[in-house]
Amino acid sequence: MRSSIRLFLFCLASQPATVVVSCAAGTLDFNRDVQPILAGHCMECHGPDAAARKGKLRLDQGDGLTDDRGGHRIVVAGKPEESELISRITHADPEERMPPAEFAKKKPLKPEQIEILKRWIAEGAKYEKHWSLVPPANPAPPAVANSSWVEKPLDHFVLAAIEAAGQQPTSRADRRTLARRAWLDLHGLPPAAAEMQAFLLDNRPDAWPRLIDSLLASPRYGERWGRHWLDVARYSDSNGMDEDIAHPAAWRFRDYVIGAFNDDKPYDQFIVEQLAGDLLPAENPERTRAQTVGVGFLSVGPKMLACDDPEKMRRDIVDEQIDTTGRAFLGMTLGCARCHDHKFDPVSTADYYGLAGIFMSTKTLTKYSVVAQIYTYDLSDSEHKQRWAKIAELEKQRDKKETSAEDKSRLSAEIDVLRKDLPLPFDVIGVTENPTEDTPVHVRGDYLTLGETVPRRVPVALSATASQPEMPKAQSGRLELARWIASPENPFTARVIVNRVWRWHFGRGLVPTPDNFGTLGVRPTHPGLLDHLARRLVESGWSLKALHREIMVSATYRQSAVADRAAKEADPENALFARWQPRRVESEVVRDAILTKSGRLDLTMGGSMLKVRANAYVDQGKLAEYEKVLRRTVYLPVLRSSGYDSQNAFDFPDPALCEGDRRTSTVAPQALFLMNSPLVHESSKALADTMIEKTSGASARERAAWLVRHILDREATETERLRGETFLSGYAPGDEAATWSAFARVLFASNEFLYIE
Amino acid sequence: MNFPPFTHEQPMRRTFLKRSAGGIGMMALASLLRRDLGAAEASSGGALPALPHYPPKAKRVIFMHMAGAPSHIDLFEHKPQLEKLRGTDLPPSVRNGQRITGFTSGQKTLPVAPAHWPFKMCGPSAMPISDLLPELQKIAGDLAFVRSMHTDAINHDPGMSFLHSGSQLPGRPALGSWLSYGLGSVNHDLPSFVVLMSRGAGRPQESPVYDRFWSSGFLPGEHQGTRFRAGADPVPFLANPGGVTSADRRDQLDDLAALNRRHQATFHDSDIAARIAQYELAFRMQTSVPELLDLSKEPKESLDLYGPDVLKPGSFAWNCLMACRLAERGVRTIQLSHVGWDHHENVVDQLPRQCAEADRPTAALITDLKRRGLLDDTLVVWGTEFGRTVFTQGGNNGRDHHPRCFTIWMAGGGIKGGTVIGETDDFAYNVVREPCSVHDLHATILDRMGVNHEKLTYLFQGRKFRLTDVSGVPIHGVMA
Repeated sequence: MRSSIRLFLFCLASQPATVVVSCAAGTLDFNRDVQPILAGHCMECHGPDAAARKGKLRLDQGDGLTDDRGGHRIVVAGKPEESELISRITHADPEERMPPAEFAKKKPLKPEQIEILKRWIAEGAKYEKHWSLVPPANPAPPAVANSSWVEKPLDHFVLAAIEAAGQQPTSRADRRTLARRAWLDLHGLPPAAAEMQAFLLDNRPDAWPRLIDSLLASPRYGERWGRHWLDVARYSDSNGMDEDIAHPAAWRFRDYVIGAFNDDKPYDQFIVEQLAGDLLPAENPERTRAQTVGVGFLSVGPKMLACDDPEKMRRDIVDEQIDTTGRAFLGMTLGCARCHDHKFDPVSTADYYGLAGIFMSTKTLTKYSVVAQIYTYDLSDSEHKQRWAKIAELEKQRDKKETSAEDKSRLSAEIDVLRKDLPLPFDVIGVTENPTEDTPVHVRGDYLTLGETVPRRVPVALSATASQPEMPKAQSGRLELARWIASPENPFTARVIVNRVWRWHFGRGLVPTPDNFGTLGVRPTHPGLLDHLARRLVESGWSLKALHREIMVSATYRQSAVADRAAKEADPENALFARWQPRRVESEVVRDAILTKSGRLDLTMGGSMLKVRANAYVDQGKLAEYEKVLRRTVYLPVLRSSGYDSQNAFDFPDPALCEGDRRTSTVAPQALFLMNSPLVHESSKALADTMIEKTSGASARERAAWLVRHILDREATETERLRGETFLSGYAPGDEAATWSAFARVLFASNEFLYIE
Repeated sequence: MNFPPFTHEQPMRRTFLKRSAGGIGMMALASLLRRDLGAAEASSGGALPALPHYPPKAKRVIFMHMAGAPSHIDLFEHKPQLEKLRGTDLPPSVRNGQRITGFTSGQKTLPVAPAHWPFKMCGPSAMPISDLLPELQKIAGDLAFVRSMHTDAINHDPGMSFLHSGSQLPGRPALGSWLSYGLGSVNHDLPSFVVLMSRGAGRPQESPVYDRFWSSGFLPGEHQGTRFRAGADPVPFLANPGGVTSADRRDQLDDLAALNRRHQATFHDSDIAARIAQYELAFRMQTSVPELLDLSKEPKESLDLYGPDVLKPGSFAWNCLMACRLAERGVRTIQLSHVGWDHHENVVDQLPRQCAEADRPTAALITDLKRRGLLDDTLVVWGTEFGRTVFTQGGNNGRDHHPRCFTIWMAGGGIKGGTVIGETDDFAYNVVREPCSVHDLHATILDRMGVNHEKLTYLFQGRKFRLTDVSGVPIHGVMA
């Protein structure tokens, strides 16, 4: 009950987004202009939540609004003056006026909002579904004036909006800038000098798409883009909350994600495996393993493992799974409906418990008493399993007191033979099936106050275009849910991932709230483009690599970041994508880029550095030790109780939450890291030593130029060359290594190194 | 290694420096950051327009978080009539079906154990305070107690999350982040939200408090708490590495500013300007933080107040003195997290050890603030995530988590000392008078800082959020 109230409040604290689009001229758009007013001012009492509904009136849909309600009608299409809706919001008597005083006090209806409602009724009072519930259209690329600028159909959509705003796109970035952008974007690493040089010398007309293809073919791509997905999957190597026990097998899920990106696993299959990989048919054990690892997605969330109440614990875990599944794949906040019908989105409590039944029929823990334990598969070959079992048995015998010394050594020898070439058990963290059950509605989220049982199903309003799957009697229905999400008919799925990919390329989504496509999210700035890309994705067989190519070959992507002031002032957020918005690289890229430029990055892939037994507590003290391993940051264990200083400083997200839109802050600890951290110092020193060795006999000017070229991937300016000379004579005369190391440090700390331009 | 002294004084270097820094001095650089936050905010030290909403009673908060939940039963709940029921089973009517944790839900009996130590009635309102806290007893006249606190959480992580951010779920900004966001910073050489952590002898192996409890959540990153740690590196990477002098550093920063300015000239990006400013703040912190930590100029009488541990960096006593010094330097929110109060196994053994260490520095902080003339506009809050059960856990005088009631106290700016709010039932199990929620506590803190808790909001992913969610009423009874 306590927690139900908490969730209730959590969801209630909502207010609609301010829609910044003006509608003064042009036609009224219901979803853009009218719906936010109704949602923000009326729907708390006249919305989808049946329990909170007053006066038997709902304004989230058009049904019944024109009915005769004893001499008056809520809406008389075309006649605002006869519509009860208008007379009530403009009533002279404060007792009669809507919204009621206690709401209006905090959030009054503005005169212009009342005007919009009047106009809407005058124009026929048409309701339209929330945009994300309508299946993607197949819009023709709009006509543009400057058609020579266009490279890809997507450019039509971007340019049309730019031209409509009376703006111009920015000229193309130079090849060097573009190459660095592509490397940082696709690999999270800057190019090596030789790689850059090779690209600059490639004069073939298709050099750019070739570069993209070669970057996509490298395993560095999966490490970079897999990490983006791990943000969404709230990946962590430990549980967090009161019991920060290790997820010792979670690394397999992390490696699975990296592999899925590298293999260009069709995104629909990627979804199905993460929700129900354990339920997919498999022709061999290899395949079983590969698929089962995917359901780690449902197990790696934070779980309250020291709760007194197994029933509540089960439901809290189910809730976390529903919430993450909703946000990650559908951009919907389904968790709100645990305690009450969603206030703003068409998700009812019954819908929630329809989904809850699926997850209640799924097993996440093996034991619910304190401290609870997380279900783990052992998918070793049966022969290996037998050997491990035998070893355990022999060890037990050997370790008995009464066993003679002679027997002990014989047993040890036997164990050694069994252990020879025996791979470690193939442990996998992930969910499995429970007995199948439908779940009753929990009134206010309380499992002691049960309502009507809801058959397992997907939310009704969300299934208008992607029809309700039939739930099996003897299985949870996870597979059916997964396939329903992964269906091309689902209006959310393709749009959500296309928008995520766009966000990760450009720093801003076409829908600026990538984890919220509901009525409180921000509407797409380019709805046609979003639909166009969503369709292209499905047509390509859900290939994300094809989507990257599409985006990166476009003229939109290749614009320069050097924009004139007026254009920047007209569109400070770059909502038109009329230029490249430079942005700081993510925390992992800061570390990886410094390591690779200094020649210290260890490119070993996969595996685990977390040497902790299952259900044992992790040790925050080990973080410093892990960080000293100079592998890519994606392979450093992620603990929920504490993070790496370097990563925290650069906005590594809270691994307890699904995060598709990392923030980018600029704070002093970043400066301290770049000025003083051992990582930067050791790397600068290593690079200075290399440089001195490679440029023996060169002048200070040449050496300065070498470092600038090596670190910033460009030629040095005359000032910078000159600075090399003054630096050498002034900084630490006689100590070249210290001097050049300091010079390198300044370059590593510069914005130019840290920004994707 | 010998470095030429102040090489940048050489004429050519001087010219370079001038050109590279564009003639902008340090303070101007700092103001770049403020400008980045918007012109309206610049005038008031980074505060939002219209804030404070009304004249504040306190300018800063010291939030002493006793992590793990000290036993309100033993420290503040004098129930003499309960003595005759010692060892008997808790009447079911008291518990009334409320949930208890898995640590005790399997126990056959829930034997009642009233406080294990005597109390003294202290201050004008005769507030009972345990003899385990003799120093606190002496300053009771400065404190306003709330005995009727209750929370929604029964486990530490959600409980601490609730106490720090108003939500049991992760992802919300901490109290200190809200204050930094709303009221801005006073001292431009130190972060506006500083966290200090210490570990008590009561239960030394207890888990640390998570970093995320001082996260700025969805608020901009500069509002997150900065943790000052014990030891040589109180702030990560603060010290210049071996062989680098402050003059070298100044030089490098000027070079860096030149590079970054060239970059900014190309892109006109405010983020780049902000980054230059952050380097300057980092540089100033390299001076301001060591100055803060240097106790050599601290008079003996002030050191003596806190007891012998005060010279041990990272001890609770040292942290309390630091809190006082941070308050003196205008830091907006200072949070002390003191671990070691989670006494499941043996209150009789663990609580006295924990109190012996914590009592004197706690009282000393109040006295010292008063001595320095800071108590009048510094709000001190001593609180925790929940209480402990009146019944024992296990066979050895442990006590389990108890969310139904617990005690906190406040002192200083805008607080009426010598007050007691609220009352619990005969078993100190349920609140019977003036219940106060964690949201109420937050509303009170914001109110004393001149902030209307309903009006400090932030729009994120389509929703307006606030610290107190949709509830919270300031606790007027504690207000001066």
